[in-house]
Amino acid sequence: MKPILDVRNLRKTFGDGCEQCGRLTGAAAATNRCPACGTIVAVRGASFTLRHGEILGVMGESGSGKSSLVRMLYFDEAPVSGSAVFDDKGTPVEMFALNAAQQRRLRNTRFGMVYQNAHMGLNFGISAGGNIAERLLLNEQAHYEKIRERARYLLERTGIAAARMDESPHRFSGGMQQRVQIARALATDPPLLLLDEVTTGLDVSVQARILDLILELQEALGLSMVVVTHDMGVIRQLATRTLVMKNGEVVEQGLTDQILEDPQHAYTQQLVSAAL
Amino acid sequence: MIEAPARAYQYGFLDEYAKKEIRRQTLKAVAIPGYQVPYASREMPLARGFGTGGLQITLSLLGPGDTFKVIDQGADDSVNAVNLRKFIVEACPDVSLTTRAEDATIIQTRHRVPEVGMSPGQILVLQVPYPDPLVVVEPNEAKRKQMHGEGDYARLLVKLYEDLVNFGEITISHRYPTRIHGHYVIDPSPIPRHDVPRLHMADALFLFGAGREKRIYAVPPFTRAEPLAFEDVPFRVEHFFDDTGARRPCARCGSRESFLDEFLDSYGRKQFGCSDSDYCARRQESRR
Repeated sequence: MKPILDVRNLRKTFGDGCEQCGRLTGAAAATNRCPACGTIVAVRGASFTLRHGEILGVMGESGSGKSSLVRMLYFDEAPVSGSAVFDDKGTPVEMFALNAAQQRRLRNTRFGMVYQNAHMGLNFGISAGGNIAERLLLNEQAHYEKIRERARYLLERTGIAAARMDESPHRFSGGMQQRVQIARALATDPPLLLLDEVTTGLDVSVQARILDLILELQEALGLSMVVVTHDMGVIRQLATRTLVMKNGEVVEQGLTDQILEDPQHAYTQQLVSAAL
Repeated sequence: MIEAPARAYQYGFLDEYAKKEIRRQTLKAVAIPGYQVPYASREMPLARGFGTGGLQITLSLLGPGDTFKVIDQGADDSVNAVNLRKFIVEACPDVSLTTRAEDATIIQTRHRVPEVGMSPGQILVLQVPYPDPLVVVEPNEAKRKQMHGEGDYARLLVKLYEDLVNFGEITISHRYPTRIHGHYVIDPSPIPRHDVPRLHMADALFLFGAGREKRIYAVPPFTRAEPLAFEDVPFRVEHFFDDTGARRPCARCGSRESFLDEFLDSYGRKQFGCSDSDYCARRQESRR
């Protein structure tokens, strides 16, 4: 079967770049900043595939480029080069060849994103239900009661009492804000969900419940997900396959069990032993 | 030797280049209904915010033989309307003035459409303080332009959604976002909701001029003008019901159709009267 997402040589830099960037940055050089020209190579040629219904973990320390990777996939940032082919209900779509309106449509209807910081994913000026309504309205849904109904259902589904749907996310705890983000991401039944450090900063019991929710939703709805985290526990619980990134470079990828039990790259070995 | 100028000022105050530019941008606005066309708003002998945008359009259109009317919040006799009329008399000789909406060829208005309606061939020039309806949801102008281009108005609907959640009804009283010809959403200047349906498939041309914000846009005749709403919560105009649920009449002329202003009479009692002074006066006249 065709993968839902096929990413080839995705590259993101901040700066003009020079001929030596390739040689002087990356995991081997232990930096993502080119000493010759000062360019930050955030992601250098990442390639991976994501199959339907699969959860792919992206692991690495901060600054390794993992967030930049998902932000490019969500069109928050534009890549410098590379391609990503998304399987839109059987039609392969080259994501970075689309115009702005087509990208916006894909982002609003086919993808869901959950950010580490709820302030990035939610509009705190409007109610929790309004945040979900926004996604539906972007999707040409214009029936008030149907929108209410859907928002109520999604909030219940993610474990928030529907009675609180008209409250501002300000009044919610960190864990609840993440749940609202998940509900918002799921509003349009997207086949692909991108999760950027969803449990970071939450206490352990709330983390566990959010992870349970994600797994449950994944099984019930058959979603494909890219899960970015620096937390080995999250990777172990969620991901079937894992990518390890360091200094903008993918140093290792494979089955999660394999990576955690028998890490090949020196950095992964260090990472795994540090966590154990 | 410098010759003395034949006239102190150009006809219509603005120089011919300025008028030409404004006419060209106006034509563009008519050609792309609802699109905000940028233009070089000139300095006028009145402060920005007092109708300079409308005045520039008016001056670029008026010529000898035209009949002109000014409306200020429905009234012909307020300070702003009187001053604008005085200025037009000086700047545009051979333009006759009227208060009767149906006699005018060009009407410059602040925030009302005449109660008698507009007929074919007439032009209504509206003064606009804030041309962009998206300004309430997006502070970045570059992003707003992109949103207009892509017809991305979901966040305006979120505003309506939030109103319904918080108040049980849409609370926008004026500047109601209205979609023109199925694409661009405009801010129809601060006209009350009562007047918004008059833009839809109208006989006359509506021109909107924002002097401070330097934008011109238009609703041409026979063009769809649809206020944003939900499928199950349709747009409605102000109802002016009293406690018993009956439509209040105008305290002066008795009209039950017009847009009403609230005022206190000489005994301090709350009263409602037509906002359109010309319409009201003529109805009172005919009742005598």
